[in-house]
Amino acid sequence: MRRQLPVIAYVVLLVMALSATATAQTRPRAAAATSDLTAGRRIFDAQCAWCHGAGGEGGTGPNLHGRLRHATTYNSIVDIVINGIPGTDMPSFRLGLTERSARQAATYVQSLSRAAARPGPGNPQRGATVYQSSGCGSCHVVAGRGGVLGPELTSIGARRGARHLREAIVKPAASHPPGYLVVRAVPAAGAEVRGIRVNEDVFWIHIRDASGTVHALQKSELSRTDRELDASLMPSYESRLSAADLDDVVAYLASLRGAK
Amino acid sequence: MKKAVAALLALMFVPLLAQEGQWLMYSGAYTSHRFSPLRQISVETVSHLGPVWVYQPPGAGSIEATPVVANGVMYVTAGPTIVAALDLKSGRPLWEWTRPISPSVLNLGFPRVNRGVAILDNMVYVGTLDGYLVALDAKAGIERWSVHVGDNPTGHAITAAPLVVDDKVIVGISGGEAGIRGFLDAYDAKTGKPVWRFWTVPSPGEPGSESWPGDSWVHGGGATWLTGSYDPALKLLYWGTGNPGPDWNGDSRKGDNLYTSSLVAIEVETGKARWHFQFTPHDVHDWDANQIPVLVDTELGGRPRSLVVTANRNGFFYALDRKTGEFVFGTPYAKQTWAKGLDEHGRPIEIPNMAPSEKGTLVYPSLQGSTNWSSPSYSPVTNMLYVPVREMGSIYYKTGVEYKPGTYYTGGSEKRLDEESWGAVRALDVKTGKQVWDFRLPSPPWAGVMATAGGLVFGGSNEGNFFALDAKTGKALWHFQTGGAIRSGPMSFLVGDKQHIAVAGGHALFVFALDGA
Repeated sequence: MRRQLPVIAYVVLLVMALSATATAQTRPRAAAATSDLTAGRRIFDAQCAWCHGAGGEGGTGPNLHGRLRHATTYNSIVDIVINGIPGTDMPSFRLGLTERSARQAATYVQSLSRAAARPGPGNPQRGATVYQSSGCGSCHVVAGRGGVLGPELTSIGARRGARHLREAIVKPAASHPPGYLVVRAVPAAGAEVRGIRVNEDVFWIHIRDASGTVHALQKSELSRTDRELDASLMPSYESRLSAADLDDVVAYLASLRGAK
Repeated sequence: MKKAVAALLALMFVPLLAQEGQWLMYSGAYTSHRFSPLRQISVETVSHLGPVWVYQPPGAGSIEATPVVANGVMYVTAGPTIVAALDLKSGRPLWEWTRPISPSVLNLGFPRVNRGVAILDNMVYVGTLDGYLVALDAKAGIERWSVHVGDNPTGHAITAAPLVVDDKVIVGISGGEAGIRGFLDAYDAKTGKPVWRFWTVPSPGEPGSESWPGDSWVHGGGATWLTGSYDPALKLLYWGTGNPGPDWNGDSRKGDNLYTSSLVAIEVETGKARWHFQFTPHDVHDWDANQIPVLVDTELGGRPRSLVVTANRNGFFYALDRKTGEFVFGTPYAKQTWAKGLDEHGRPIEIPNMAPSEKGTLVYPSLQGSTNWSSPSYSPVTNMLYVPVREMGSIYYKTGVEYKPGTYYTGGSEKRLDEESWGAVRALDVKTGKQVWDFRLPSPPWAGVMATAGGLVFGGSNEGNFFALDAKTGKALWHFQTGGAIRSGPMSFLVGDKQHIAVAGGHALFVFALDGA
């Protein structure tokens, strides 16, 4: 449990060509509903809660309460479970779940979406002000504006749950996003470089330091390279924000749902 | 003296034509040493290696093949099923043959790829994604015959290069995640007429059937999705078999599930099994044993032994007597957390509670294994086996499962520990299985390796690096960025008297020689 969610990625073994063929529901829908819901919850807890949080409250994946961004009908939820969402972190579960299990999971997800999203404690408008005054924009882009050292946040509220966003502010090192691995390279001669790994192959490593400068380093000229799996360049804002400010910033980030 | 004997034995195993600078089959020779006897490109000269030409096949498929070179022509394949004959000097195609593969053709459990051809006389043999074996005229790329091997709508497909032995074409089948019943087929090379079929999962009453309860054998898996090896003196084929079905939920198939996750020695004349060795009895982690078996003659305990060695997906290196299948020794070669070791017969001593579960079970290696289909290589000069190694763990899940034709029949999934994973080209002493050196890679590789008489080991990375290592020490001596993930095996051949090296990176095939173009 040392590591947090982002280090685990779902395996997506292949790109599938065949779309799922739905079979007719032969059981009476009402009779099936309760058992499907129970079975769906079990599947969700085992396979989905890892990203979407227990009860679908959101985590590294989005909160599933309230209107779903990518699905409006039961069949479209089934389709997403089976095929995933291309261009997002949502993988296909075609390999691991039978069609029946996928349908049961979708039944449970639909039941979550019918429950209204519980409003968080903060005020998003106030949070936008705190975001600006705290300097978040010096490293993050929202709607085209801001620095590029950290990940873009334009649609972060559609992709991450509030609990995860809160943790990312309080303990950034525990939840760095994929692609933001911190490395420290020590050249045999010269100053050490610490920053985000932009690229790495067998012989080269490219590191963007805190000033934004990219260093292209040949590994043969380094005395050591440390991957800091538990580090982040972002400082913790736990002591920099009041509890109310933190609630507000989380509410603001959760409200960022992109252009759509 | 020992080295001299080893080198002599090795030369006997390298087909005469290979010494003339050809590369006649997927793994270079029947021994599957993937060892090039060419020495012009060597520890001393490799720093002068440079690109000569690049070939890009039609379509968007990647190249995972090892090219074959015969009679002055290179034959290479690309996904989903494209064969090209290339001029060795210019890299220009003499012909390109594309089999129309509809988007509805199934590839359940593997990419839409093809890994190479076999050749005999004026014929080029290729397996197709939609489950056929096709013979093409080597000069013109025109179809001479084709034969239906397995039904694609039930998940059968061919991605492996066939193997030609005498007058037969031997071809394996993919589909181990779709609940197929695996087999290995032999066809008449001239006509395509079926000669024999060996079922990797026995039917009721046959030996091994006691390891399958009820009708679980019907969808028992045991795919033969990679090319095997052959000993002409014993007339035995050595072919690895894949996972039992369903992959991760073994409830319906309690028992050892023979002959899945095994190596089977098959009489080439009859298609009958002479012996089998099961690496992972009742496999529930998808640890196929399709990795290419390597036939090695070496001295062990003061006497010469004819071995078949393999670094298995389950994390253990094995040496077996290739006449009898007797377990000689085995040892872990990568991180594994599922077995305490191997018993005197080579059977794993399993650690309890390592099977996939509803809540997830963390196990090393990941389902892709400590190594996978990327080819190892054996150098008779160093007596080392060079293995592309994947160091990665996974959380294995078990779910419900039901068989529906043409869909996944797996009963689970995995979440892999990506960021903490890494890879290596690892040199193992074939006499002990012990690591001699390790060349680290940023991620678990899909590239095969090739050792050469020039004292080099060529390998590649997911990050596009193609490199040459000192075969004795693992030190990197040369490298080139191909710009695409290397998921293919390097090979070597002569153009005139000049040694060339070929490897595919991404969608392109790169050919190198000293001083480049």
